[in-house]
Amino acid sequence: MSTPEKIKILYVDDEMNNLVGFNASFRIDYNLFIATNTTEALEHLKKHADIRIIFCDQRMPDKTGVQFFEEIRSEYPLPIRMLLTGYADIDSVIDSINRGNIFKYIKKPWTDADIITSINEANKFYLVSSMLALKNQELEKAYEELDKFSYSVTHDMRGPLLSILGAVAVTQQIDDVVEIKEMLNLMATSVKKLDDFIQAIHDYYSLKRGALQIVEVDFNDLVKEMEDIYKITSTINGVRFKTKVVQHEVFRCDEMSLKVIFNNLLSNAFKYQRKENDDKWIEMDIEIVKGMATIKVTDNGIGIPQNFIGEIFNMFFRATSQDVGSGFGLYNVKDALAKINGEITLNSEIGKGTSFLVTIPNK
Amino acid sequence: MDPALHFILIDDSKLDCLITEKIIQNIGICASVKSFLEAAAALEYIKNNPASADGAKIILMLDIYMPLMNGFEFIEEFEKLSPEIRNLYSIFILSSSINENDQNRVANYKTVKHFLNKPLNGDFLISLLT
Repeated sequence: MSTPEKIKILYVDDEMNNLVGFNASFRIDYNLFIATNTTEALEHLKKHADIRIIFCDQRMPDKTGVQFFEEIRSEYPLPIRMLLTGYADIDSVIDSINRGNIFKYIKKPWTDADIITSINEANKFYLVSSMLALKNQELEKAYEELDKFSYSVTHDMRGPLLSILGAVAVTQQIDDVVEIKEMLNLMATSVKKLDDFIQAIHDYYSLKRGALQIVEVDFNDLVKEMEDIYKITSTINGVRFKTKVVQHEVFRCDEMSLKVIFNNLLSNAFKYQRKENDDKWIEMDIEIVKGMATIKVTDNGIGIPQNFIGEIFNMFFRATSQDVGSGFGLYNVKDALAKINGEITLNSEIGKGTSFLVTIPNK
Repeated sequence: MDPALHFILIDDSKLDCLITEKIIQNIGICASVKSFLEAAAALEYIKNNPASADGAKIILMLDIYMPLMNGFEFIEEFEKLSPEIRNLYSIFILSSSINENDQNRVANYKTVKHFLNKPLNGDFLISLLT
């Protein structure tokens, strides 16, 4: 286990003796910042956003500790504020504590034990409240996504179902067996579309919630798997699928993320071919050099309009009506890459094809 | 009721176009039906061939969620056309959406006659057109 970083503490006091004493007692165990007036204190706060605890003397020439805490509270809400004071000022201190400006006050003259206990308490409180703030942020983002999600899911799930319902109604009027079979084929397409969508949602959640499972990756095996998956599609649609793998070193990564990336890039490459093209091909080129995997997926398909390139990684965005798609695939690719610190760029030309370049570092 | 109406379907789902085509053909009020998978292509077609050959009314069945140009964007472009052209058409939304915002938004477009849910109910369509 790595040693946790030292807690950053700011101590504000106009009396040099106190500062020196404080420094001597605590500089080993904590990362201390010292200020002789509130202006200096503000400079420290500005520079170090991660100061967790502020000790401030109540009686200072420019302003009182209570005033200082009141002033900084809205701009620097995170650090835990603690006041050092003698009994004489107790009324204003109580008032300030009640208004929530001060976490705790410490009676002067303080002992080291007082300070250490207070730091531990304050640190616990800091961790809990900052964790809460972080969780709240995550939650807000999750709600936002959920809204968008349920809105689109109702459409993307109902769509194929209603198609099938319509097809059933039409088929009930048909007597010709050949025509009925034709309708059944179309219904199967709809079922497939719904299933693809559910698969994409599954990927989405596995990526969002699943922990990384770092294993040694043999790209030859992975590519072999992809070749098997796309063998039928490749034959039926007359698309040549060429692969090349150069791997002479161990590469560690999350295999689930890699599969999501490969699968989505390849299924797009197969889907968005130019139907009239006599020589359809897809190339997958993988090279692992010095702990960096470079994966290139190139096709000579329909290409992506320049004005849509910025949007293709957005959830539910679709740049074409050719073939069925959920608008989920590249979003999942981007999500997977974020998890494994990978990057993706692309080049595309309408009517010529698209080339995706993915780089992923070894874990 | 005019027995010979012309239909233009705009839906990115090929299957849905086919189903709607069949339903329309089955109810016997259809002189012709033309399907577009992309709204922009339909708009282009309407600009170039605004009127039907026999001058009869054209019924436009429009999906909402489509890639590239969606149903709302199509209506906004359509409403820019001259009134002479617009009057040749009746627009019906045909969507799987159960979202109230979509239905309310559609109600704000004066060129849209009705919001229909998929799959199309032939008898209901007849009642709307007569």
